[in-house]
Amino acid sequence: MTIMSRHVARLLLAPTWMVALAVMIKGYADTGDGFSAGIIASLGVLLQYLVVGTRETTQLLPVRYAREAAQFGLLIALLVTFIPVLWGDPILTHYPRPGESVTHLGTLELLTAVLFDVGVFLLVLGVATGVIDLIARSRERRPT
Amino acid sequence: MTLVLAFSIAVMFGAGAYLLLKHDLIRVVAGMVLISNAANLFIMSAGLSKGSAAIYPLPEDGSVSDPLVQAMTLTAIVISFGVSALLLSLVYRVYQTHRSVDIEQLAVAEEVETRQREEAVAEAEEEVPVAEEEEMALAERGANPVPVSVSESEDR
Amino acid sequence: MLVLPLAICWFSAVGLAILDGRRPTVAWTAVGALTAAFASIIVLATDVISGQPQQVVAGGWLPGVGIVLRADALGILFAIVSLGVLLAALLFETLGGVRSRSFPSLVMFLATGLTGLFLTGDAFNFYVFFEISMIASYVLTAYGEERRQLRAAAIFAVVNLLGSVLFLIAIAALYHITGRLDLFGIGARITEVPSRTVVLSAALVFVAFSVKLGLFPFHFWLAAVYTGTRPAVAAILSGAVANIGAYGLLRFGAELLPRELGFSSPALLVIGSASILYGGLQALSRNTLPEVLAYSSIGQAGYILLALGIGEQVGYSAAVLFAIVNSLNKGLLFLSENLRGWLVGAAFAVGGFSVAGVPPAAGFVSKAALFRAGIAEGSVLLIILIFLGGALSFIYMLRSYQRRFWVPEAPPDGQPAAHGSSPLRVRAIVVALALLVIALGVWPEPLLALSRDAAAVLPPVSVESAR
Repeated sequence: MTIMSRHVARLLLAPTWMVALAVMIKGYADTGDGFSAGIIASLGVLLQYLVVGTRETTQLLPVRYAREAAQFGLLIALLVTFIPVLWGDPILTHYPRPGESVTHLGTLELLTAVLFDVGVFLLVLGVATGVIDLIARSRERRPT
Repeated sequence: MTLVLAFSIAVMFGAGAYLLLKHDLIRVVAGMVLISNAANLFIMSAGLSKGSAAIYPLPEDGSVSDPLVQAMTLTAIVISFGVSALLLSLVYRVYQTHRSVDIEQLAVAEEVETRQREEAVAEAEEEVPVAEEEEMALAERGANPVPVSVSESEDR
Repeated sequence: MLVLPLAICWFSAVGLAILDGRRPTVAWTAVGALTAAFASIIVLATDVISGQPQQVVAGGWLPGVGIVLRADALGILFAIVSLGVLLAALLFETLGGVRSRSFPSLVMFLATGLTGLFLTGDAFNFYVFFEISMIASYVLTAYGEERRQLRAAAIFAVVNLLGSVLFLIAIAALYHITGRLDLFGIGARITEVPSRTVVLSAALVFVAFSVKLGLFPFHFWLAAVYTGTRPAVAAILSGAVANIGAYGLLRFGAELLPRELGFSSPALLVIGSASILYGGLQALSRNTLPEVLAYSSIGQAGYILLALGIGEQVGYSAAVLFAIVNSLNKGLLFLSENLRGWLVGAAFAVGGFSVAGVPPAAGFVSKAALFRAGIAEGSVLLIILIFLGGALSFIYMLRSYQRRFWVPEAPPDGQPAAHGSSPLRVRAIVVALALLVIALGVWPEPLLALSRDAAAVLPPVSVESAR
């Protein structure tokens, strides 16, 4: 790969993740959700693999925690799903309920739906990165 | 619009089905991906309606498109994403163990291994003294076990 | 209460995925979690069967808008049996030594999928849980990671994915026709539309579940997969995963599309009969035990379809009964495939008798129910066929019993380590299953009552009147 494409690929990583984050946290009331955010973020990772190469990417990014990220994300999503049952609400009830006031953090609204999307985001990112890493590593190993 | 959708679903499904019949496992996986996406398009077309996005606040004229099919399609996309990843890694493992992704060659490997197993069973049975004539004859021929049991399993 | 088994399975699956399943403590944790889920589903069953079906709408939406989880007698009965077989197989593999780090977690994911599938009241949610359990079982088929297992997994995955896609298309079509996704709503609206609009989706549903069940024209994947995998996985596939096919045919065929089921009844009878004869004859001509059992599964699936084709309450309850007893039989037989010792021989004989429908095994009860259904239908040909199928299965089970246990030193599938008697703990599971099969055969009243309750869930539309 040329110097140019390497630089562009590196530079693109941060904006890609920014877009992913925006898509995720606005997903409850606008276009987007955790899954598309995860896919966008892992596309950024895939670009690194393609352009920069496997070894440097694994040095650059914490790829080896992909498995843990996926499991942690699934755990978050499941907790958000099942915890309302503890006080007698049906599963997947989100708080605050419709009509109740929402706590703001800047323009960010704190809803359990956002937390659920964070879980899905981590799960998708972890799984996708793990699969990309698996296939990329196998390509490196093949000539031996 | 409906006609265009129907046509593209038909083309995708047909192309996928054609690829499924190929000998190369990679092509089979590609066919599977095409067919799943044809199904996704089909879900979209099942609730095709004109209107703005079904996101609060609703527009004045009140016509919104059906959000349910979009939610279903998204879920189906997620599932087919996971399944394609699984299929690819499965094919990769098959390639690692067999050094081939050709269905014909895998079938040959299957046949050879089945034959070996049946030979093992047949040999074990030959060691047992049995009274029945058929089995006696088999035991006599068993003096030269390997070629005989090969022809045995071919008879079956 | 309804979500408790689902939550137990799901959380433990995620938790176990991090840990190395080859360590005995991890495997035993999985056994504990599955036992807890099993116990909670039995508690749920006592509530459901004595009282009303329970339901929860996710997110507090109105029923009909939100996704419904629903437990009725039919679903809960299948859930109990499937989780029971899973538990037996997991215990079996734990005692024998787990070979792969992900096995316990995969079994828990499969348990999640199956529990969700049997306890959902929403067609699309059914598909999602269906896929969760299928993905888990694709990976489970590759368990062992030898050449055969990988080949079997590849075949299994491709064929069953095709089935899943067809099912998805059928759901989308049903949604297009009725505008509803909850099973109750679809069932209520479907009778208002002309039958010719529905018949294509009905055919797709039938094909999708027949592939799962391994019925005659859709059986081609089954033999390679059941013989290729390890015994515990084969037991899981034929004892738990195949239940999806039977349950799906009952739920979607008998509950949602009773009209279409009614006029396709002759076709179902023909396919069922073909399946019985084909499975029986193929099983008779095979020499290795896994092959015999695999083809026997095809034949047994035919009986379920036959009962479905007879229809009405008597046919439905026979189908439920047959599916349940069959999954117990197959779990027992596949688990005892590689074991040795006279206790195992006795257990295997019980399983064989049960498949053939000889008293006092539970198979007799289910065959008798089928017989009753055949008499209710008043078809002599059907009764002869059921008799013939029974005779065939008796012969092939006896033959494989001879080959398997009267030959002292047959090497079970390249594992000379299994010579002599197997460990007592492993044999105890098989013997327990055999005792269960006998107990259900000697004292069948509870099972009969349960299957009647389950069939009572399905609408009492007479198939005759729909013709």
